[in-house]
Amino acid sequence: MARPLRERLAEARRRGGRKLTGRGSLPRLLRTALASPGGRCYRHCDQPIRSRAVPSALPGRWEVRSCPSGVVSVTSYAEWTRRDPTPAVRRTLERWTEPKSLVRAWDLRVATRRGPELGKNAERFLARNHPSRGVRVVYWRVYPFRARDGTERRLFVCFRRTHAAPVFFAASPTASEWGCPVCARRRRGRRRLRG
Amino acid sequence: MSLGTVAEAMPGGAPPKRPRRLTIVLAQWCPHCVPLSVTNGRRLAKRLRVPLRVLDIDRRSQVKEADRLVLRYGDAAPDYLIPQVFLEWSDGRVQHLLTGFSEQVPRTARAWRDLFASDWLKRVVAGAGN
Repeated sequence: MARPLRERLAEARRRGGRKLTGRGSLPRLLRTALASPGGRCYRHCDQPIRSRAVPSALPGRWEVRSCPSGVVSVTSYAEWTRRDPTPAVRRTLERWTEPKSLVRAWDLRVATRRGPELGKNAERFLARNHPSRGVRVVYWRVYPFRARDGTERRLFVCFRRTHAAPVFFAASPTASEWGCPVCARRRRGRRRLRG
Repeated sequence: MSLGTVAEAMPGGAPPKRPRRLTIVLAQWCPHCVPLSVTNGRRLAKRLRVPLRVLDIDRRSQVKEADRLVLRYGDAAPDYLIPQVFLEWSDGRVQHLLTGFSEQVPRTARAWRDLFASDWLKRVVAGAGN
């Protein structure tokens, strides 16, 4: 599937963005400790995976790992909190996904990072803070599936800067057209205006 | 000094807490689990001088105990992440140590390396509890 031109894509990082000091937000030290650079697109194109941070109303940090064609490997949300952020993550993903039925409970998996497995700096940082709380990470991974017509479907993401937020959708990895439903609606709207 | 520490220090008081068993909840098909976490689990159990228990979620005889540990002490979800590593203590407490990193296998490998180098492990091996 052809991805839209690079220059049309929204900037991943907001320059001069707000400081992450709110409740549940991740300090830089923890962000570094959680980072997972590298990796390749598994069973699709074998191209390097790119991590993209996504802003949202939630205090934690979103990261979408996808290949250059837009196939999503995994989307994660990390928050420094004691509560399980899964319900809030699910609501946000439902807003970003078309159709929202693509977001299913069994594709959301939570992990708690307590410190010792994050390296010395993060371990000491988390140990200094009382009452102790770990970092909760919710992963959203949609495995490839078959549509009713038997063709393979994968989860894609569209980051076009005309979208208010990332748009997740399922499409065939061999389709010739970029299948983002929001882009398609805009195209149809433009055609109607011209006609 | 807390009352618990006083009791442990006194002759005839409660025995000091010691690690008792390390448990890994895993599946044989998971590359984060086999061989990575089994190998590192064995190493960790050896460092802690405790037996290692492996619970395979695809074995009917083991999945019930695996689910119980994860639901009660670990990272529970309808289709929870594996591997999950737990340390059982002599006082009956169960400590969740590690959950696999869904991003990629090398990240889970890094988490194991960090766990081995952690202050926490040094304290536990020295007998200072957790």
